Amino acid sequence: MKKIFLIIQREYLTRVRKKAFIITTLLLPLLYMLLIFGAGYIGAKTKPSLHIAIADKSGYFAQQDFSATNTSTLRFSLWADSSGDISKLFEKKDFDGYALIPPFNWENGLNLEIKTNETRGESTNQAIEFRLGQIWEKIKNRKSGLDDNTVATIQQSRVSVNTKNINDEAANGRVAGALGQISGFLIYFILLIYGSQVMMGVMEEKTNRIAEVVISSVKPFQLMMGKIIGIGLVAITQFLLWVGLIVVIYNVAKAGGKTDASAIGGLVGGMQTAFSSINLPVILFFFLLYFIGGFFFYASLYAAIGSAVNEDIRDAQSLSFPVTMLVIFSIMMMIPASDDPNSPIAVWGSMLPFSSPIVMMARIPYGVPSTVPWWQLIVSLAILYASIAAVAWMSARIYRTGILMYGKKVTLKEMFRWITKKQ
Amino acid sequence: MSRNNILEVKNLKKYYASQRAVDDISFTIPQGNIFGLLGPNGAGKTTLLRMITGIFYPDEGQIIFDGKTFNPQEDIRHIGYMPEERGLYKKMKIGEQAVYLATLKGLSKKEAIQKVKNWFTKFEMETWWNKKVEDLSKGMGQKLQFVTTVLHEPRLVILDEPFSGLDPVNSNLIRDEIFRLSKEGSTIIFSTHRMEQVEEICDQIILVNKGVKVLDATVKEAKQAFKQHLYEIETGQPFAGEENGLFAVQHAHDNIIQVKISEGHTPNELLRYFLDRNYEIYNFREILPSLNDIFLSVVSGTSTARQFTK
Repeated sequence: MKKIFLIIQREYLTRVRKKAFIITTLLLPLLYMLLIFGAGYIGAKTKPSLHIAIADKSGYFAQQDFSATNTSTLRFSLWADSSGDISKLFEKKDFDGYALIPPFNWENGLNLEIKTNETRGESTNQAIEFRLGQIWEKIKNRKSGLDDNTVATIQQSRVSVNTKNINDEAANGRVAGALGQISGFLIYFILLIYGSQVMMGVMEEKTNRIAEVVISSVKPFQLMMGKIIGIGLVAITQFLLWVGLIVVIYNVAKAGGKTDASAIGGLVGGMQTAFSSINLPVILFFFLLYFIGGFFFYASLYAAIGSAVNEDIRDAQSLSFPVTMLVIFSIMMMIPASDDPNSPIAVWGSMLPFSSPIVMMARIPYGVPSTVPWWQLIVSLAILYASIAAVAWMSARIYRTGILMYGKKVTLKEMFRWITKKQ
Repeated sequence: MSRNNILEVKNLKKYYASQRAVDDISFTIPQGNIFGLLGPNGAGKTTLLRMITGIFYPDEGQIIFDGKTFNPQEDIRHIGYMPEERGLYKKMKIGEQAVYLATLKGLSKKEAIQKVKNWFTKFEMETWWNKKVEDLSKGMGQKLQFVTTVLHEPRLVILDEPFSGLDPVNSNLIRDEIFRLSKEGSTIIFSTHRMEQVEEICDQIILVNKGVKVLDATVKEAKQAFKQHLYEIETGQPFAGEENGLFAVQHAHDNIIQVKISEGHTPNELLRYFLDRNYEIYNFREILPSLNDIFLSVVSGTSTARQFTK
């Protein structure tokens, strides 16, 4: 048993010490966060200030006090007729653009053209529309004889719809669906990326001709399992580091968000309320169980394929095609399952061992045991872990023959024969 | 059985679906021996070695290692195997890799580091420690491979074609190491189809063809068994060439002739024949067949490529 630890150690350390691993693990979340928050921050800081002159012929706007709604980025001021021809003089008076408000009747509404001295983007257009819309509301209210305070009170009362599972008060369908899809895709990516790493690792050992040297010291099964476990630990390390980093960044952003009530603060606050309806520890716990199960299932298959392949990478692609199809098929079941967690396809998909890690993860955020009953989880995990034993046994038999077989192109049929042949 | 045999192989069989790779082979190797396992390509040498190293299980038969039934788990740390299909991790640092392979054999990390350092000093490889295998030439790689094979001081060293790809300087280095290991009590199994090297190095050989052992002898015995009763005689004056029943001249060149003694006669009679006729004898020696000749005569008559049984 000591030898398998040596193999795990080598597989783990050589991968974790690679520059590519360190960079993707540490920098990816940072870069990602930097991109999101950085773009927001830069956008907020560099928004150009816009000063618009309003020449009112309708008589409605003239009574407005613009200074109450003006901000540093968007200001409106009335253009006094005495100032002269607006279209010629607005720039001299330090305006960036102007709007002519014609006399109008209530039936047709207001179609305005804002003339600016340079081309402005859609966001500027939206900001102006939004602000003028607010002012317009006030004008309409006044016309209807409502005072601003009454309107504010009335407007705060809204209809809000939220379906609740009576067995689980905390569950929130929308957040659960999104989180389910994220978990499902995460498992899918980890299975594909690290599964193929196992395959490449086995191929490397075979094509470098080190395999026979090593299996004269250890059993082929130990070499195969050592590689699978080592790479699995790399995946878990990366995953946990990412979770850790995101928690750190999230808390830093939250602290920052409190002091200046910016968009970041709002974003973080939104996440907080969303997650409060979800049982995160339960999701994480089952994520790890299904991740480990799914990884062993697929990594064993990929290891068997890697052992059967010779130098030619195209053989690896064609032999691994059926396995890749299983993963893609699982994703196809996962997407409807994350929408309707108790549909037959969701239940069946979370029982089949090749798809259960992906499909079940899409259902679990809906609530355990309110949506996914315990018996389903137990049966699903039992099937998964029992089939791992079977798949690992089969793969080990393919592996011990394949790893020493050179020069010959191997077919799937032959691989099946290796399973049954005596050793 | 004698305690001095490091390895006894008894009636070993390994059949594949399409051929009998090893078909009832037995032999024993005394401790400290340099043992040649010879045979043409596809004779079953590698399969045989893989059973001795515990990679394959025999279908039938018995392997006895150092007086006890071979137990791969236990005994593997006393075996060093350099397979014909050999290699190393290309991206791993050389020092680390040598230590790793030694710890897989059961050495502690501390021991392994010490041993690797010693060997690296001996083979002038100290500067290699932090290099990667991909930086090495093929010959350097072979040298490293040899070091990783014998690093854990195995009692049985198995070398499958150890000289392929080595230049004469490194060949000699490794040949000398083989002699030294044998002198210190290690046993060496040396598998090859290159006969010159076997003649030079091995004490004992077995010859395998089509999965069957066709010869098991010391090098001396083999030569005796396959000798053609050829003698070379160098004389003071050219041989007159008269016909006789004692010998037949194979070929003559200047004053040197090669003759084959007829059935039932002895070298002494041959020598007397020349002395009686007043030839001055400068040189008289028996020509023994080279292992290459033996190899060819044993293997010839069988088809060169191994046929698959249906």
